[in-house]
Amino acid sequence: MLRFAIRRFAIAAPMLFIASFVMFMMVAFSGDPMSRYRSMDPPPPPEAIASIERQLGLDQPVLVRYWNWLTGIFRGDFGASVANVDIGAELGARMLVSFRLIVLAVLIAAVVAIVVGVISAMRQSGAIDNVVSTLVFIALALPVFWVGVLLKYAAIEFNEAAGTTVFYTVGDGTSSGAAGLELVGFLALPTIVLVINQFASWSRYVRSSMIEVLSADYMRLARAKGLTKGRAVVRHGLRNALMPFVTIVALDFSALVGGAIVSESIFQWRGMGDLLLNGIRNLDVHVVMAWLLVFATATIVLNLLADLVYGVLDPRIRTA
Amino acid sequence: MTTLAPTLDAASTMSSPLLEVRDLHVRFGAVHAVRGVSFDVRRGEVLGIVGESGSGKSVTSNAIMGLLPDRTLIEGSITFEGQELVGLSDGAMSRLRGARLSMVFQDPMSSLNPVLTVGAQLIEAIRIHRPLSKAHARAEAVALLEVVGIPDAQQRIDQYPHEFSGGMRQRAVIAIAMANRPDVIIADEPTTALDVTVQAQVLEALDQARKHVNAALILVTHDMGVIAGHADRVLVMYGGRVVERGDVDEVFERSRMPYTRGLLASIPRIDQRDAPLRPIPGAPPSPATLTGRSCPFAARCAFAQDVCTSVEPALLDVGAEDEARPLATHAAACHFARHPEIVRADLPTVPEVPAGGGRGSEVLLAVVDLVQRYEAKDRAGRRRSVVAVDGVSFTIRAGETLGLVGESGCGKSSAARAVTRLQEMTGGTVHVRGRDLAAARGRELTSMRRQIQMVFQDPFSSLDPRMSVAAVIGEALALAGVPRRARAERVAQLLRDVGLSEEMAERYPHEFSGGQRQRIGIARALATDPDVVVLDEPVSALDVSVQAGVVNLLARLQAERGLGYLFVAHDLAVVAHISDRIAVMYLGRIVEIGGRDEVFDDPAHPYTKALLSAIPIPDPKVERSRQAITLRGDMPSPSDRPSGCAFRSRCPVFASLLDDERRKRCERDDPELEPTSTSRDVACHFPNLTREVQHA
Repeated sequence: MLRFAIRRFAIAAPMLFIASFVMFMMVAFSGDPMSRYRSMDPPPPPEAIASIERQLGLDQPVLVRYWNWLTGIFRGDFGASVANVDIGAELGARMLVSFRLIVLAVLIAAVVAIVVGVISAMRQSGAIDNVVSTLVFIALALPVFWVGVLLKYAAIEFNEAAGTTVFYTVGDGTSSGAAGLELVGFLALPTIVLVINQFASWSRYVRSSMIEVLSADYMRLARAKGLTKGRAVVRHGLRNALMPFVTIVALDFSALVGGAIVSESIFQWRGMGDLLLNGIRNLDVHVVMAWLLVFATATIVLNLLADLVYGVLDPRIRTA
Repeated sequence: MTTLAPTLDAASTMSSPLLEVRDLHVRFGAVHAVRGVSFDVRRGEVLGIVGESGSGKSVTSNAIMGLLPDRTLIEGSITFEGQELVGLSDGAMSRLRGARLSMVFQDPMSSLNPVLTVGAQLIEAIRIHRPLSKAHARAEAVALLEVVGIPDAQQRIDQYPHEFSGGMRQRAVIAIAMANRPDVIIADEPTTALDVTVQAQVLEALDQARKHVNAALILVTHDMGVIAGHADRVLVMYGGRVVERGDVDEVFERSRMPYTRGLLASIPRIDQRDAPLRPIPGAPPSPATLTGRSCPFAARCAFAQDVCTSVEPALLDVGAEDEARPLATHAAACHFARHPEIVRADLPTVPEVPAGGGRGSEVLLAVVDLVQRYEAKDRAGRRRSVVAVDGVSFTIRAGETLGLVGESGCGKSSAARAVTRLQEMTGGTVHVRGRDLAAARGRELTSMRRQIQMVFQDPFSSLDPRMSVAAVIGEALALAGVPRRARAERVAQLLRDVGLSEEMAERYPHEFSGGQRQRIGIARALATDPDVVVLDEPVSALDVSVQAGVVNLLARLQAERGLGYLFVAHDLAVVAHISDRIAVMYLGRIVEIGGRDEVFDDPAHPYTKALLSAIPIPDPKVERSRQAITLRGDMPSPSDRPSGCAFRSRCPVFASLLDDERRKRCERDDPELEPTSTSRDVACHFPNLTREVQHA
């Protein structure tokens, strides 16, 4: 198992390196971050621009800039930002905001998907399954941005009708120092948006893998031993049905981050999404790179985690 | 009978039926799968239920256990000790399942939960029904595993199913079935997925289990040999009904049902190797097509008359009546069951295949030192090369069949694939009519592929479902260089040759039965007019009554065309019937090769002898008097081959007939194949001792 983990990391490192290089080049060549100074009216003196460029290292060849960035990373230095922010500090605060959203959404979506999927599978093609499946397909068809905006307006109406702010529709709550129950008011809507989008597809995976498991011989043996249908599903079915699901959750992490960015921007959160969008808008290489680094590391760690969990669930993998 | 009456009475008062099934009907939607089945079972009795696919035998056993899908319609009555089971809630049924009624399933590879240890699953079975402490249940579980013959049960109880061999897993399932001393054990094809030597072990374990808990056993199988050796009474099922029932000897010797007689006549027997196989024409009916307005067997029956196609016959008693047990009387569902002059008449003869027809002296296939190695990872993740075929040599002449036999994992299928170059061989040479197949490249290889063709095991997955029969065979004809306009005529000819009609050319594989599909597979193989055909388990996926037709077809085609056959199979009875010579493989090597009769009548290798003794013979008198030589354990993995003679870990000669001095030789020296006569080679240091091996 340890060897396996080490090997996975060994593969991940060069992948991360190549990805960072490609990404750096793409951002660096996509435009001039100084263009907004140059297009100012009246234009600032060229010396001033040159001085900012020197400060940001933009006067050096792109390969040197990449090298400096790469070596900087190992010293914990994310490089200078066009927008003149401390990337490291900014990352810390925003990661907390975004990960709170993503982790909560993953947990809720997974639980809902498992419950819905298992019930659907056990009542395959019955009335409950048909109703649930229809709802799931509707949820699948709803784009994140559309549901988000819709929910936002609905919440505003609701708040007005209630006469008090139950659901916050602007901001993530950290700047206003919200805590406890109030924080839930901030978290609720963006999380719901993400969950609706994610649980639907996940519940289909759970359903189909549960249907497969239900017809497995060991489920028949479990019932032949004297377990009722329900107990057989809980004791022998769930673990087998959830093994492939673990991998799916990890693989869907990227899609989830995409959804989170959209959701954050609708509700004007100062999270990782906002950081990335601003970075791209400013052609701020180091901000985009920092974001990528966090995202790629999280993806790799999550997939590794999924493999480890799979190993715990499935003894056949453990010994391999 | 009258003199026995008092004892029978005593027996029947002591044990009234445990389980009574009356007029059971099972419907899946419009499909009427079981149509009025009645029988009863008493304590200590073994009831065999025999039938082919679609006969309703498995549905019946699952109905008793209450394990059919929720929306199944079950009518009739199933009572267990007077309690009605039909309509019982899942909760109430669960209290009986595993405690009073238990079941052993067909495929041990999939019937244990892969993510839980064997022990956890066994302990669970105990604790569902009895409030024992975990430690107490565990001790009982170890004892159970010992009863069914699992060595080192104390250690192995904590292993996972994938660490058990197939035979071991089935023993574990049997241990689960007997865990709470049930009254009735239902075994649904318990040994179908296992090798014959393991089958013998598992049947013995099942017998042990039944005696240990004094239960009744319902043994469901398609294998008449297993029934002959283990059942007291038998139900023959066909088309969802019981078509014959009675005492095993009665049914086997004085059958009054043409289907039962046909079945027995169609099964190859190793003790009657030259008796012609009489196939039953057609295929078993699918339950969806039964109307209930004719005898389901009428279309295939040699004695059918007008009444058979207009009225479905009821079960008619034909044996001596036993008032205490009306459902035990010999009965058959045939309009003419009481007319022995009709149902006992001779079965129609089959056209004789000219013996040795087409045989020539030319060597068609010469295989020398064939080696097939695979790269595989062992449990610790280290890369290891596994030698599946380890220096195999043989020749096949025109019109000759070499039967290649052995247990699963012995390398026989790897050898077959390497010989046809469907898989590149690691070493050795293969010559087809003197041309080197291993060295052939490009166009030469293509032309050589025409000379050596293969028929695959599974006719359901070896034909492309989206290609019509004409396209499947036409593709092979194109490879053989037959011009496009001549192909339709050749397809029609080939279909006629394999006993199908030319109108079938435009149909798709799913429109055919298994036997017909295998015939299409044979036609495809013959399209290129090959010299040698490699048959990899060509009949093992087919229903018993259909196998004989395919075997006879192969024999006829061989006689007509002088084909050389390499017939790979695990079923020695089929192999015995069609082969001229036999090669027995063990762990990648041939351990005995020689003329069929020499090998079967006087096996010189102890492994051959054990294999032969384990094959059940479908004759109760013969089978009960036989004793299988039980081999210990399973075939070792090719990656940790024992030193010296690889068979010594299971060899009965090594275990009981050798002194330490001679044992050292087996441990040290790997025996070479050496001739014991002009026509037989054996790889054993002490072939003369094989005769002395006692049937345990």
